[in-house]
Amino acid sequence: MRCGMPAVFPAPAPRRAPADHEKGSLMESFIQQCVNALQWGSFYALIALGYTLVYGVLRLINFAHGDIFMVGAYIAFFLSTGMLAEGGMFGFSRELTLALTVPLTMLLTSCCGVTLERIAYRPLRRKGAHRLYVVITALMCGLILENGNLALLGASRRALPELLDKRIYSLGGIAVTNLKLLVIFTAVLVFVFLHGIVTRTRIGMAMRAVSYNRFALPLMGIPLDSVIVFTFVLGSGIAGLGGVLFAMSYPVLEPYMGAMTGWKAFIAAVVGGIGDVRGAFLGGFLLAFVEIMVAAFLPSTFRDLFAFSILLLILWKRPTGIFGMPLTTKI
Amino acid sequence: MLTVTDLKASYGKIEALHGISFHVRRGEIVTLIGANGAGKSTTLKALMRLKLPECPTVTGGDILFDGESIMNMEAHHVVGKLRMTLVPEGRQIFGNLTVVENLTLAAWTNTGDTRRNLDHVFGIFPRLAERMRQRSDTLSGGEQQMLAVGRALMSKCSVLLLDEPSMGLAPLLMYEMFRTLKKLNDEGMTIIVVEQNARIALQLADRGYVLDTGEIVAEDAGKALLQRPEIKAAYLGG
Repeated sequence: MRCGMPAVFPAPAPRRAPADHEKGSLMESFIQQCVNALQWGSFYALIALGYTLVYGVLRLINFAHGDIFMVGAYIAFFLSTGMLAEGGMFGFSRELTLALTVPLTMLLTSCCGVTLERIAYRPLRRKGAHRLYVVITALMCGLILENGNLALLGASRRALPELLDKRIYSLGGIAVTNLKLLVIFTAVLVFVFLHGIVTRTRIGMAMRAVSYNRFALPLMGIPLDSVIVFTFVLGSGIAGLGGVLFAMSYPVLEPYMGAMTGWKAFIAAVVGGIGDVRGAFLGGFLLAFVEIMVAAFLPSTFRDLFAFSILLLILWKRPTGIFGMPLTTKI
Repeated sequence: MLTVTDLKASYGKIEALHGISFHVRRGEIVTLIGANGAGKSTTLKALMRLKLPECPTVTGGDILFDGESIMNMEAHHVVGKLRMTLVPEGRQIFGNLTVVENLTLAAWTNTGDTRRNLDHVFGIFPRLAERMRQRSDTLSGGEQQMLAVGRALMSKCSVLLLDEPSMGLAPLLMYEMFRTLKKLNDEGMTIIVVEQNARIALQLADRGYVLDTGEIVAEDAGKALLQRPEIKAAYLGG
């Protein structure tokens, strides 16, 4: 290394053609990182879907959504520790605990999201408050959730008990755990389910219609509040599901875990084209792919710098995101 | 069927309706005419019980539908239970949905026979059938107006309120629209129409009310109002 160069910059390697076994291991490493990116992107996608659903309906950036994801992880923690045989109240097996934790967490996290809508957003909406006040309210709700958690449960980190026997499948030099596959498969399934709801069902049409024209919806006999509540149920339920899977994959829970992940998922949704389910899904994976690849092949301190610079470039070329369409009105 | 008594409505502190009273019988066409700001659209929004921030707040009076007060009802119940709906000013279509999605959504309270309803609407407005898969914000102004009326028909309502249906339409399209309204009325639809084009509205209507700065200042049969010198001078260009 030359004198004076920071340690994070490796010395330039002498140029030579890579040997066959090196090419193979590089390719294996790349594929392995792709699998990791798919898992990491699944979490972003699951959170970004909630951001995009609420934005698509209310034109509201629900900044509390990342913290709803945190609430989901904590609900999963309390449910599973309460239900498990070792020290739990009910003495359930791990399989039964997992089978009950997932739907109950989704349900309870939905209740949390709907409560926020009822007590924080709906009164402002009814009074016709400017969007800025609603966004500030959302930010405050997020802070209340974080700090409420801190005040009630303390700053100590918690770990979700292991609910799944870890199995590792190897294909060539690439290792995939059953949990990774579960996370990726769930994210894809949720996306297909949501996309189906939004594009093929009448409630999905109503959700899309609200974003364009809130005034006309009641004139079709459609209760506006019910459509909005349904949106919060879906978005928060999916965040809850993301919370369970995240806590299973990275069993370290702390009150601020949703803040940065939430921000990144929000950015992913914007890059994908906020308001579009496909955009949130793709944006989540795109962000994760860039993050993982940068961390894998460059110093990890470059990760967020590169990730956000690339996203900025995408927004520079397409300000409404990858799937975003500019709103037009015909007079 | 519809009796409005001493209705007062305001936007914040500004009162837009100062206690208006009128009635509509089943099967009638009734028109409300008046200048800009007279309170015509406010009346329709109040009748529909719309409670969005941009809508007026009813501060007094009563609205009876078949003898029962609807003051505590919400707009979606007015559509679902009373079968009364509004084609709003400026059409207010869902531009991000296709024509057929707009129509399907409008059948929310009437899910049983959507296919037959669609055929019925496409029979009245064949142009919509040609454009059924098109995003509705790409339609022309006239086509959007057809879609707005078509949507109201999808809900199988028996009372139709229309706010400025001729706005932005070429004369030929405007006459076609009013002919369609007359045809719907002949089939039993009760119609309340608010219109700036007083001549065509009064020709169509059985009865008309003239609104001026939030008060009803005249009431008569549509054709009789057309003959009144003060109406001619104020609303028909002399």
